Amino acid sequence: MKTQYSRRGALSRLGGAIAGLLTLSAARTVKAAVQKVFVASGAPKDYDTTKHKWLMCIDVNKCIGCGLCVEACKKENGVPEGPYFRTWIERYVIPKPEPGSGQTRGETLVDSPNGGMHGFPPTPVPKDQIEHSFFVPKLCNLCEHSPCVQVCPVGATFDAPDGAVLIDPKYCIGCGFCIQACPYGCRFLSPVTKTAEKCTLCYHRITRGLKPACVEICPTQARIFGDLKNAGPDAPIRKFYENNRVSVLKPHLGTEPRLLYAGLDKEVR
Amino acid sequence: MTNEMTNIVVEVLPRFEGYVYPNEASLHPLWGFLIVLYPYITGLVAGAFIMASLVRVFKVRALEPVYRLSLLTSFSFLLCATLPLLFHLGHPERCFEIMMTPHLTSPMAIFGFVYAWYLMAVLLLELWFDYRQDLVEWAKVTPGFKGIIYRAFTVGVTDESPPAVALDMKMGRILSVVGIPSAFLLHGYVGFIFGSIKANPWWGNGLTPIIFILSAIVSGIALCVFNYMVLTWIRRHTVDMRCLDTMAMFLFYALVVDAAVEGLDWLHRGFAAEEGFSVMQIMIREKLFYTLNLGQVTIGTLLPLLLLGPLQLLRRRVPELVRRRMIFSSAVMILIGVLAMRWNVVIGGQLFSKSLRGVMGYKLEFAGVEGWWLGVVLLSLPFIILTVLVKLFLSERLPSSGHIPQDSAAGEG
Amino acid sequence: MRRFKLPPQILRLVLLTLAIVGSYLIARAFLTPASFGEFGWYRGEALVELRSRPPVYAGKQACDECHSDQLQKLAKFEHQTLSCEACHGVSREHADNPDVLPVKLTGSHCIRCHEANPSRPKWFKQIVVRDHYSGKCTECHVPHQPSQTP
Repeated sequence: MKTQYSRRGALSRLGGAIAGLLTLSAARTVKAAVQKVFVASGAPKDYDTTKHKWLMCIDVNKCIGCGLCVEACKKENGVPEGPYFRTWIERYVIPKPEPGSGQTRGETLVDSPNGGMHGFPPTPVPKDQIEHSFFVPKLCNLCEHSPCVQVCPVGATFDAPDGAVLIDPKYCIGCGFCIQACPYGCRFLSPVTKTAEKCTLCYHRITRGLKPACVEICPTQARIFGDLKNAGPDAPIRKFYENNRVSVLKPHLGTEPRLLYAGLDKEVR
Repeated sequence: MTNEMTNIVVEVLPRFEGYVYPNEASLHPLWGFLIVLYPYITGLVAGAFIMASLVRVFKVRALEPVYRLSLLTSFSFLLCATLPLLFHLGHPERCFEIMMTPHLTSPMAIFGFVYAWYLMAVLLLELWFDYRQDLVEWAKVTPGFKGIIYRAFTVGVTDESPPAVALDMKMGRILSVVGIPSAFLLHGYVGFIFGSIKANPWWGNGLTPIIFILSAIVSGIALCVFNYMVLTWIRRHTVDMRCLDTMAMFLFYALVVDAAVEGLDWLHRGFAAEEGFSVMQIMIREKLFYTLNLGQVTIGTLLPLLLLGPLQLLRRRVPELVRRRMIFSSAVMILIGVLAMRWNVVIGGQLFSKSLRGVMGYKLEFAGVEGWWLGVVLLSLPFIILTVLVKLFLSERLPSSGHIPQDSAAGEG
Repeated sequence: MRRFKLPPQILRLVLLTLAIVGSYLIARAFLTPASFGEFGWYRGEALVELRSRPPVYAGKQACDECHSDQLQKLAKFEHQTLSCEACHGVSREHADNPDVLPVKLTGSHCIRCHEANPSRPKWFKQIVVRDHYSGKCTECHVPHQPSQTP
């Protein structure tokens, strides 16, 4: 009993090892050489991951819900068509309470048609019945204790030393565990690559000294982006932090997001 | 639910109510029917093993007739336990990475090792030590291909002296003792894969692993009852009523404990009524109405309790035929009920948005990776393997060593 | 006393275990990517791969190289916070090769931000297009200096 199966297991493992020895190591050497030529030339060489700490902040009071950031993100990162978003905008409509109901507010209505990419339809409640209404841009919350990184079985998603939470598309097995573990719904399984995908803070841009596409394109500077390790006293990110009291999403989960919001309402989850 | 608004969306199909995060609005839940089968099959493995260890460790002599059958059941299901996982991966060809670079904080990575430990170190070894003497004998008398198989399984160890057989028995017992916590670990760990997800109030719960273990024991015993009765029926044997009654007794008590803990879990959820409770109520009332109330509670718990409970008190007054039918039907109902329970956990946990503001729909399809057809294939595979194993190792034509599994002390002396 | 002899079945099992563990370790040595563990529990090479992708949006700095006059003008008026590509569209090709013209956008683009919406913050200038004017936005507003008339 034991032997047959163990022997078979051992043989297949040994076979795998030999196959690995013969094909994979050779393939890897070739691949590494190819990568040295092609990849390295495309990647910025002078970027040192350990000398940066990227941070994004969002000023909800400034967001006008134009959806340019969602569109820019899709274009910049080749995000698949359909319900797949690395960033999106939610609209919150909090109606006035019914007179005499003894409540502070009516039932909150939230929507995000197509991630807010093409703007929003007229509000479901007439203007004079709205107590508060605002837009909330959402993206990866850059958790200090990322539940998604914690659960990845193979080490395909990770906290980069510079603060970005990234996915290795060549290593992800597509199990979807990280998508289940993200409390903020920021990850999706790409129908194209069959791997998990998420906001990378436009890693290919920020390492070249550019801003992330959503930050670049935002017309009202509702998104503030900066490098904590290299931020002078006048850096927008410092100014934002000085001028606002900030909050994070779902603080009770202990994920300690580094994505800070100013002007949130209790209804935002 | 604090809101009741339907998304006014042009591009996205209205297959959800309230607000769900845009990434959650895709057509299927991320983990479909295959992932329902994964904890189901793993649970059957653990449960059937616990059933076998009742004989070896707890010395329940009445269950001897099903000892080997339950070990083989456990083994055949264990061989298929990881298949649903493998099929649902986005990149199955990269699955080896889980073993090569296991991320030690991930429940799923550790599961790979727990599984390997259980398969290689516990179940295979226990089977081998239990069968070793028989294999040597069978290898001598069986000609042809089958004989070669038996000979291969002996790994060339042909020692049949009393001390060697005694050692086999002793090792088997040690392995059983190690096996019980391993079985708990195996299935508790499956529960932990879900229980560790704090983002999801339906799953992230300290009781989830415990409930998984308890329902695993229930379903495993039910499967052994089912297999035993089907096997005796196929072989036109008479059912050993002492054995069957004992199995029914253990099934009943395991079910009582399982139902009590699951009830406590719901009591706690309802009483604490934390953030996500309102959305869970919608799930129970609408989305999971049939599978939860009808499948899990009525068919899986209440009816078997009603059938098995009176049998414990009035066993002598119920005729054998009726008893057999009652026990068989409770076993089948429990098997269905536990499958419904896995469905409620896995699918239920994905039918509401993590924004806790909306619920999604789900329609099980026939074809495709997440369709029920593949699920049925994967679920029947262990039974096919079991048939082969029973033909090879529980053959009626071969003499059995007749040693008593739990009686290691006698062999030693 | 009799010399201790390992029973044959145990001996076989020990050998098998060693073979399995050994082949696992060998497989691991070969199948683990070279740069794995460089910074943490992941492929260090992935960091390089992820940043090697070319950007799509050129960025305001790229525009500044040729159009610094326009940017200086823009900086004095309300639209100073706007990125060029917010209105002119993805212009990387134009930045690489000035012969490729960027996409020109029509007046409907102004409405994308300025159409009145109760969800928009109060400080933000909004119009109800129906009540405002039926002609082109650019008849009264210079896009780069919106408070000025052409």
